[in-house]
Amino acid sequence: MNKEVIRNARTGEEYTLIKHPTGLDIYVWKMDNFSTTHALFGTKYGSINTKFKTKNDPDFVTVPNGIAHYLEHKLFENEDCDVFSLYAKTGASANAYTSFDRTCYLFTTTSNVYESLEILLNFVQSPYFTEETVRKEQGIIGQEIRMYDDNAGWRVFFNMLQGMYHNHPVKIDIAGTVESIAQINADLLYKCYYTFYNLNNMVLSIAGDVDVDKVLEVCDKCLKQNENIELETAFEDEPETVCEKEVVQKLEIAMPMFNIGFKAKPESGLAALKAEIETNFVLSLIANESSEFYKKLYDEGIINSTFYSEVFCGDGYFCSIFGGEARDPRLVCDKIVEEIDRCKREGLDKKRFNTIKKAYYGSLIKGLDDAENLATIMLNNGMEGLSAFDRIEAVADCTFEDVTNRLMKQFNTENVTLSIIDPVNGREEK
Amino acid sequence: MKISYKREKIADGIHFNSIRNASLKTNSIVVNLVSPLSEETASLNAAASYFITDSSSDYPTLVDISSKLEELYGASLKGTVCRSGDNQFISIICSCINDRFAFEKENVTVELAKVLLSCLTDPHLDEKGFYEQDFALKKQELLDDIDAVINEKRSYAVQRAGKVIYKGEPAAVSVKGERSSAEKITNSSAYEQYMTMLKTAQIEVFFVGANEPDSIKEFICSGLSKLERDYKGDCSSKLSAIKAEPEEFTDELEVAQCKMVLAFKSDKADLRAAKLMNAIFGATPFSKLFLNVREKLSLCYYCSSNYNDLKGVITVDSGVEKANIEKAKDEIIRQFELMQKGEFDEKEINEARLAVINSLRSVNDSAAGLVNWYSGQIFRNTSFSPEDEIEMLEKVTKEDIVEAAKSFKLDTVYVLKGKESAENE
Repeated sequence: MNKEVIRNARTGEEYTLIKHPTGLDIYVWKMDNFSTTHALFGTKYGSINTKFKTKNDPDFVTVPNGIAHYLEHKLFENEDCDVFSLYAKTGASANAYTSFDRTCYLFTTTSNVYESLEILLNFVQSPYFTEETVRKEQGIIGQEIRMYDDNAGWRVFFNMLQGMYHNHPVKIDIAGTVESIAQINADLLYKCYYTFYNLNNMVLSIAGDVDVDKVLEVCDKCLKQNENIELETAFEDEPETVCEKEVVQKLEIAMPMFNIGFKAKPESGLAALKAEIETNFVLSLIANESSEFYKKLYDEGIINSTFYSEVFCGDGYFCSIFGGEARDPRLVCDKIVEEIDRCKREGLDKKRFNTIKKAYYGSLIKGLDDAENLATIMLNNGMEGLSAFDRIEAVADCTFEDVTNRLMKQFNTENVTLSIIDPVNGREEK
Repeated sequence: MKISYKREKIADGIHFNSIRNASLKTNSIVVNLVSPLSEETASLNAAASYFITDSSSDYPTLVDISSKLEELYGASLKGTVCRSGDNQFISIICSCINDRFAFEKENVTVELAKVLLSCLTDPHLDEKGFYEQDFALKKQELLDDIDAVINEKRSYAVQRAGKVIYKGEPAAVSVKGERSSAEKITNSSAYEQYMTMLKTAQIEVFFVGANEPDSIKEFICSGLSKLERDYKGDCSSKLSAIKAEPEEFTDELEVAQCKMVLAFKSDKADLRAAKLMNAIFGATPFSKLFLNVREKLSLCYYCSSNYNDLKGVITVDSGVEKANIEKAKDEIIRQFELMQKGEFDEKEINEARLAVINSLRSVNDSAAGLVNWYSGQIFRNTSFSPEDEIEMLEKVTKEDIVEAAKSFKLDTVYVLKGKESAENE
């Protein structure tokens, strides 16, 4: 077994990476004197992975939308009991989530860590689906989908993705639709399970005041040998342009909500992390609360304090988003496009670069107190073949020139999608 | 882990609470201005909370203050308004990295405390009150936020239900006040009320971090001890009155999913027994509500309960299809009656106890958890640590839990229904 301690001189922090013989990568961050332990057992499998192939498949297989999320729900049911009832005996608080490119099972606990870990490893490795139990879940997930149908923050984001992407499955709602989940059956769930829940495609990540050797003892006992099935995933080709420039929907809300997305070319591995960091610098320089642009729009009442910007990226997709609530989202969009064009012509504000770097660095330091954050960073970075410290180092190494280049490369003001949620009853303007 | 908690009086109704946890890499300072919720002052106080953290006389614009915070390694400084029992909390919440992580070992925390104090005691003013131009924007934001409650249907339903559950009590007042009163606020009325609040509110300052906060304490104390005070000491909450007959109330909106909120009240439940009862009933994913209403009957994606001990109320909130409202309601009530009949076993008790204890043990790991816990002690007139609380929970018996359950009575049924037009979409 290969065991390596990864140290970071800048922060004085360290964690351990173990390459387990079963194919699983195990990350452990020992947090002395903390009571909380957070554990994540995740697979590199999310809503976008609907097309795949292993060495046992003659050709690529396509499965219904929403199946990764459905599988997450169903794994919580063992043959003889519900998984929550097992955790109930250890006191751990358990949950799971499915994102675009991951499914993670987790627990947080302050006692019985190793017993809880045993439960986690065992249930994720023991699928049990019957036609009847699969059918039962359709009511619950159907209600979950309906709940999100009313959620304006969620809708404004997905409508933007649908406008932005022609083919990439990131445009599909994570839970699928009531129609797509109706096609899911036990056989399909098993098919996806045995394709993606292979330990070679998974990561275990634990942060807390734990003993690495005891963690490994539990792993040795519970992990099952997995054959490498040479998993490949594929996406349809995605054009560089956006599909639609504007998407509008009406919901019961008070003020219009918007997401403005700039579509850019995705990268992978360390290049993707650097692209994300540099783009974050660009966004802060252009439009964070200490920028002149923010102040101007704010003082004119065009935006309010709900205004934010963020990078959204993953396997095969990358975009920069400006969002919030505004009376006139189209005006906000025009102003942002104008400002980006101006910055491209006149350059970014170099004086603010070092201050923003300090702030970025500070926010990463603050995250070191949080077991959940540390476990998540190790897992996310580990799945991309990166170290948990790569982000903090890349922030420290980032230069103003990198950021300027990123602005020129990543912000094509032709490739913009504006998504708006309008109130059902338009308010009278005063 | 060793946590030390110390509470010291600075002035009449003003205390400095220091909580030390040697493991933390972040320092936090929180100032809570606490006063009873009332229709007259709720939106005025809320408006101040929007205004005071975005500027001060030292940092007259948002750009000035944001740049300063960026300089302090991205320190955060936020104003919030929330409720606890019958009180409104106007809070300034700050955090920054421990000085030892600063590139040049600058005094980041003391610098942050200076910014905080200037926001709190020296706001950006003009001749009439809060600096008008900026205040007008903040007022608009407050109005927008009051309107935006409708955006999140789950919390909207809980808030609307609160109006019925707490009818006639301070807790029924919306935490940011009503639109009609917020519309009337001016920069001078908000400033005047802010000055009154500094005079009369109970002020609790918290420091959470790894080191002894001497220099920060000294600095903040010297600033706050100058405040003119007229403290009334009236920040206790009263248990909610139980209605003679349960009240049913329905709202209609264009929503895909209906929401239902039920409230049960007690005027004599033992705190710890009721906490465990609530956990067995509906606060965990192995509770009666989760296992029956969601898992067995597939009626809801969420259906969970929450216990507000300051008001003696257990609320159950759920998202459900219109056709299943009655079915879900009957099942929730039936499950509650099973609690009152004692139809749960030692295993369920121990598992609920473990879950509650588990979350209590994590209190010490975060500044938010610690401030929340010790602030809660202050307003319950107790000074227990999470460890003390665990010890008391260990002693609760099944009889205690049944006794607590029996003392609760159904008080309110609130439903947010979809309009017909939204049905077929």
